[in-house]
Amino acid sequence: MDVAFSPARPARRVAPALAVILIILTLAIAWELIKLIFNLDKRTLPHLWEIAEAFAQPSRRNGPPLIGVLVEAALYTLRGALLGFFIGAALGFVLGTLFAHSPLLERSLVPYVVASQTVPILAIAPMVVIWLRGSWWSVPVIAAYLTFFPVTINTLRGMRSPDPRAVELMGSYAASTWQTLWKLRFPSALPAIFTALKIAATASVVGAIIAELPSGIQKGLGGAILNFNQYYITGPERLWAAIFMAALVGILLFVATSVVERIVLRNIVRGA
Amino acid sequence: MQSVVSLKNVNKIFGSAGRPTTVALKDINLEIGRREFISLIGPSGCGKSTLLRAIGDLIEVTSGELLVNDKPARQARLNREYGMVFQAPVLFEWRTVLKNVELPLEIMGVPKAERTQRGRAMLKLVELQNFERHYPWQLSGGMQQRVAIARALAFRPELLLMDEPFGALDEITRERMNAELLRIWQETQTTVVFVTHSIPEAVFLSTRVVVMSARPGRISDIIPIDLPYPRNIETREHPRFFELVTTVREALRKGEEMRET
Repeated sequence: MDVAFSPARPARRVAPALAVILIILTLAIAWELIKLIFNLDKRTLPHLWEIAEAFAQPSRRNGPPLIGVLVEAALYTLRGALLGFFIGAALGFVLGTLFAHSPLLERSLVPYVVASQTVPILAIAPMVVIWLRGSWWSVPVIAAYLTFFPVTINTLRGMRSPDPRAVELMGSYAASTWQTLWKLRFPSALPAIFTALKIAATASVVGAIIAELPSGIQKGLGGAILNFNQYYITGPERLWAAIFMAALVGILLFVATSVVERIVLRNIVRGA
Repeated sequence: MQSVVSLKNVNKIFGSAGRPTTVALKDINLEIGRREFISLIGPSGCGKSTLLRAIGDLIEVTSGELLVNDKPARQARLNREYGMVFQAPVLFEWRTVLKNVELPLEIMGVPKAERTQRGRAMLKLVELQNFERHYPWQLSGGMQQRVAIARALAFRPELLLMDEPFGALDEITRERMNAELLRIWQETQTTVVFVTHSIPEAVFLSTRVVVMSARPGRISDIIPIDLPYPRNIETREHPRFFELVTTVREALRKGEEMRET
């Protein structure tokens, strides 16, 4: 008789945490080796332990330790990035879905969507700040500007991905466009949408940091980076610390998105 | 005999103005009665799938009259009067087996309790009641196709359209699926239109075999199958079975010769 295959168990993974530690260790050794081989001074590339030390020391005389300042700045930036991420993702989803259903809209608007991304964000950011009269909202708006694009493109592609026979099947049930969207196109598009969301997650942090610069916002990582940039000659490790913190925020958002993806897509096994 | 499907002088021409056109269906006349099991058989490109898709209103015919339950095919589709099974199961991989079967009921707005109950009854009909929580990829090809049949029957359509549903299965699984389909057909009292490449399959299943020939696609012969019921493994070894297989084969060959001359 028929045999039902039991869920294939993926080969036992070598503890992922161990792999992560190994990679970090390798990168750290490479960093120090390059410094050693090319005899780089502190200004070009500080020692990793100097950066680590900088975290613990006060950023200015009698101030709190740098790590406290940076965590606060990171949380401030994260707020803008997160809001921008959600706005951009929602906008991208709506645009992608519209384009998927209307070739006319797709043909007439997609070129502008693409063009929007070829304009350097550094040129646009100051204008957005002026338009929004220097308010905090320019941060999420610019973050959204960077995030909506991958989500739009992948939603469009994902919504068009279902098997044509599956679309015919829905037609044979006289399903409405709306029903076909939610019961077939949307679930089919989810893997592609999540891929875009992961790209968007990191882009939103970059967007938020860039937006803080022309806004004159001091409280975020953008402000911190600008500030430490000015004192680079005397304390390069502090700028490096701020850069590490910015990377950490991006990684955090990326990992959070991946976790949600895993939960949502847990039942989908592609190519089985 | 009341007709479930009625085709009068149906033609289907593919292609647009200024381009070479293909006559996919030419002068098709066919009446399919209630509770019939009709197989459409013929060489590749004879238009048997096109004919099935026209009946199911997945494509429009160019001319002629095509009625399903005395209504235009489009109206029958909007009334949800037919179920469809393709060569591939086309299951939704993010839904469990039961949820896949419930899909058409969901679209029709059947309340949840009734949906589940009917979904389970359908899975029992195809003998997959123990697999309702499985996902499609956990099932073999034959089992997936049975889920597709259960799904097509879930809303009790009067007409079941099947486009080479067992074409991708191995011979042994195919014969077992044939026997199951016959049982289901008898239990559910549906009318079936079935596209196939396989002569024994067509003879085993059908009340009538419609033989088609290619370029242009048309009906070259209709052969009534008078094998007694219940049909089972022994039917396939019955002398009458072999006679009918030979008759269909010769009809197919004759259709080909007609084209060449």
